[in-house]
Amino acid sequence: MTFNAAALLLLIAGLALIGWIAGRQRSNLVAGRAGTKLHSRPQYHGWYVALWLFAPAALFLAVWSSVSPGLITNEVLANEAAQSLPSFGFERGAILSDARSVALGKQDAVRLPAAAPLVQPYADAAYKYAWIGIAAMLALALAGGLYAFTRIKPDFRARTRVERTVMAFLLLASLVAILTTFGIVLSLLFESIRFFQLVSPMELLFGTNWAPQSGAPVDDTFGGIPLFWGTVLIGAIIAMIVAIPIGMMTAVYLTQYAAPVVRRWVKPILEILAGVPTVVYGYFAALTVAPALREFAVMLGIPNASTESALAAGIVMGVMIIPFVSSMADDSINAVPQAMRDGSLALGATPNETIRQVLIPAALPGVMGGILLAVSRAIGETMIVVMAAGLSANLTANPFASVTTVTAQIVKLLTGDQEFDSAKTLAAFALGLVLFVVTLLLNIAALRIVKKYREAYE
Amino acid sequence: MNKPTNPTDWKGAAMQKRIAGRYAAERRFKFIGLGAVLLSGAFLAFLLFVMVGNGARGFTYTNVAVPIDFKAMPLTIEKARLSDADADQVIASAGLADIVDFAADEALGDGGSALISENAWKEVRSAIKDDPALLDGKTVFELPTASAVDMAAKDGAAGALGAQVDALEKDGKLSTGIHWPFFKSADATDPAVAGIWGALKGSLLTIFIAFLIAFPTGVLAALYLEEYAAKNRWTDLIEVSINNLAAVPSIIFGLLALAVFINWFGICQASPLVGGLTLALMTMPVIVIASRNAIKSVPPSIRDAALGVGASPVQVVFHHVLPLALPGILTGTIIGMARALGETAPLLLIGMRAFIGDVPSGICSPSTVLPMQIFLWSDEVDRGFVEKTSAAIIVLLVVLLSMNAFAIYLRNKFEQRW
Amino acid sequence: MTQDDLTIADPKMRAEGVNVFYGDKQAINDVSIDVGTDLVTAFIGPSGCGKSTFLRSLNRMNDTVASAKVTGRIELDGEDIYAPSMDVVQLRARVGMVFQKPNPFPKSIYDNVGYGPRIHGLAPSKADLDVIVERALVRAGLWDEVKDRLLESGTALSGGQQQRLCIARAIAVDPEVILMDEPCSALDPIATAKIEELIHELRGKFAIVIVTHNMQQAARVSQRTAFFHLGTLVEYGKTTDIFTNPKQERTKDYITGRYG
Repeated sequence: MTFNAAALLLLIAGLALIGWIAGRQRSNLVAGRAGTKLHSRPQYHGWYVALWLFAPAALFLAVWSSVSPGLITNEVLANEAAQSLPSFGFERGAILSDARSVALGKQDAVRLPAAAPLVQPYADAAYKYAWIGIAAMLALALAGGLYAFTRIKPDFRARTRVERTVMAFLLLASLVAILTTFGIVLSLLFESIRFFQLVSPMELLFGTNWAPQSGAPVDDTFGGIPLFWGTVLIGAIIAMIVAIPIGMMTAVYLTQYAAPVVRRWVKPILEILAGVPTVVYGYFAALTVAPALREFAVMLGIPNASTESALAAGIVMGVMIIPFVSSMADDSINAVPQAMRDGSLALGATPNETIRQVLIPAALPGVMGGILLAVSRAIGETMIVVMAAGLSANLTANPFASVTTVTAQIVKLLTGDQEFDSAKTLAAFALGLVLFVVTLLLNIAALRIVKKYREAYE
Repeated sequence: MNKPTNPTDWKGAAMQKRIAGRYAAERRFKFIGLGAVLLSGAFLAFLLFVMVGNGARGFTYTNVAVPIDFKAMPLTIEKARLSDADADQVIASAGLADIVDFAADEALGDGGSALISENAWKEVRSAIKDDPALLDGKTVFELPTASAVDMAAKDGAAGALGAQVDALEKDGKLSTGIHWPFFKSADATDPAVAGIWGALKGSLLTIFIAFLIAFPTGVLAALYLEEYAAKNRWTDLIEVSINNLAAVPSIIFGLLALAVFINWFGICQASPLVGGLTLALMTMPVIVIASRNAIKSVPPSIRDAALGVGASPVQVVFHHVLPLALPGILTGTIIGMARALGETAPLLLIGMRAFIGDVPSGICSPSTVLPMQIFLWSDEVDRGFVEKTSAAIIVLLVVLLSMNAFAIYLRNKFEQRW
Repeated sequence: MTQDDLTIADPKMRAEGVNVFYGDKQAINDVSIDVGTDLVTAFIGPSGCGKSTFLRSLNRMNDTVASAKVTGRIELDGEDIYAPSMDVVQLRARVGMVFQKPNPFPKSIYDNVGYGPRIHGLAPSKADLDVIVERALVRAGLWDEVKDRLLESGTALSGGQQQRLCIARAIAVDPEVILMDEPCSALDPIATAKIEELIHELRGKFAIVIVTHNMQQAARVSQRTAFFHLGTLVEYGKTTDIFTNPKQERTKDYITGRYG
């Protein structure tokens, strides 16, 4: 007997169904007996009963499944067989989880001999807590169901109650977004503060030497400038040099020149370009673009040309951003009133003069907002730089050299062997905080500009 | 006002020349625009061309014919035990690997055992399990070659290996077939038996979890914001949160998941469950925004009509608005899910980059996802993985493109102009 | 030629048997009309009667609508404006247009007026452009109001000022004909009066065609009036005749307010 949350959820869902049917029947019955009309239609009484059956029990189930493993482990640790366990650390965890796997039937036999004596206590504790949990849950479900069932009367406003619950659910769902935002801010802040107790924020923001894994703890340095520069070089400079002209001209061509049939075909193609996963772009950059660029650089005689170059990552990232820039520009140009275009054409301007001297200046705020969003997206992009830009922190303006970025370093610091409290792990969160703040500011600025611009033409 | 007001001479030579220049500029500009469109198309074509060119070969593998006469071999296996649960162990401990190597040496000449994959005997093992009668006779097995041999057979190679492969080819011992393990097994260190099924199943489980959480939450939140929310600070805060979350770099969600789901709640690391939760948080804002747009496009007259016949606000929304907005909501959801399916960065941080040699059995077992498998293989030194990587990319792109195509189909089919 | 003479010997523009189609739908059916050089011609009729469509075909603004097709012959100084040899860019410079809603570009007042002369190369130097801009603004009656703030955005002006700015913008390229598509419909009565006054002053310098749904306005500003209904030209004549003594029953019904 183990505590299977999914099965139990199904069980109470089944009970709720029964409650629904019973509630419906009863409401018809009481109405018939009293000879009056129900305030709410029968199914609302059904829903009322079902909700009372389901919601408290499900809530309990959620709490119990997150709490009970801890309770079980505590009980096992209190057992005398656990006294011989090694004190904290990886080994202790491995032995416990081995015993747990066997006790819960996920594994036939123990892999670690030390786990063998713990299997039985584990199974016992699991059994005990499973029964406690199931009994409490069923009791809650039945109590809730009975309470609701007894309240069914012809004039009982079941619909209002049910609808109020529905509204509560809706509100709850919309709060998830706020919770997520708070979760991000708090987790980043919390870990960053711990990092800044070890390393000064000034060093991270203004230091020029990034060497977090030099081995000896004394020599670790966390100067972020090379990373910030690499991020800017790839995401805000090279990628934008590729994406802005091509994206803008694509948008101009599609909105002003292309026949509807061309537009109908090209737009989905751009959508495909936007839908290609970043890991594919990264692979493409590393496999095809980077070697070609390196050969080109060697041909030009450029020193320290690397196969992991800022240019390869930047160009491919630019290609990835093209559809984004083009659709933002498309929207902005389309938002310029047709009257502007007519006014210019009626003066005898050619379409090209109209576009360059009237439409684009008029659409500029919207386009600028779009470009800010594109930059924010580019500097937060991870896979392309991890795969193609390399991991060596160089402070160089040579686009053929290898540079690294904030995102690439976050990945590097958090994958591989890690203890969660070492400075380098915490550094990843501090970098994440910097990235989050910068992209947040870019997004807010961009959304402001775009919103203002939209209002100007409404 | 001293300029005489004589009419402009439109037909004059200077004016005609100027006009010609302006038209030339017009043509140039249009040409540049067309060039930009073609360039974007060319990038896509080139990318697809490279991937298909590299990857198409990844779906096939070179096999070599090796006859094994079990009667002549010192192999003792009790047939009765072949239907047991531990049949694999029984066969392995009987020394089948050595026997297959020996047969390869015999059939392919000295060093023949190096030409077949080190996992080739497992193929023989499963054949024996399927048909124990094989043990009584001599059978010619099409065994997977070693990765280097496969490469040499596909590309040609210089040196001793090249000569050996050429000789085998001349003897007609090599054959090329669809590489079934690629579709059926999980990751492995040997390209001969490495497959994407483990990762694909991991992806499906992960996306399923993400959908289960993000879809209802996203739609309900959108309904609340669009239909009921009062204009106040809270609503503004929710709105700002959602708009910003939609633009937060995906890797930040990885950090959140690492700190909260794994280190705080201790949810099973590297599992579809925690991956799905992470992607759900990431996708939810996208679904909310798409749903709000869909809900917005349902005309107010429908709400008024329903309210007019005495429906409650909740009934209006669930009976009228939601069904009408559903196609738009689904389109946005599918596109959001497709994006989540291609996502790698946040999953890197929650441990899904580890080598997983088994197909995941449930939502809590360690697993990887398809984009991650691509990332892992792209780092492999063995040349055999280059084409496997591209082949996996093809599979991923096919899945994503069909999802997007379905979304576009839905959009076009149910698009309603009010 | 006097303004009371209905036959125009040397019309500025002449339309003969003009049809305009939007896709399969015919918007204008066999319209023939002459536009005199020194006259203000008003097009009146109920909304949707095709008067604006016809106006837009006089400087080929209908070309910007992909599905629009014009047949028949429209001449400017005897030259077919739909002939391949006619350059549409020059045509629109010679036949200017003012729109229903004021549509100044989001540029400075100076740049709004200077835009046309610049693109057509009418001002070889900055000093020349200054002269042209000033003259256009003076003619549009806007100079005194804006001469101290030429570098402010044109969109910051009031609605009536914006419309006069648009007229100045059209005048700046020195056109021969100015087409006005309900230029006062978005303006208040005072701004409307100013525009009407301006039209009086411009008469004689340019041939003016004005579309209006306001019959009093047509009576006040024009010498010739054409009444359109359902895409056809019902009646064309001296403004005084149309309003006092219409020949067609439909015209009479319209000007007496039976429909429209």
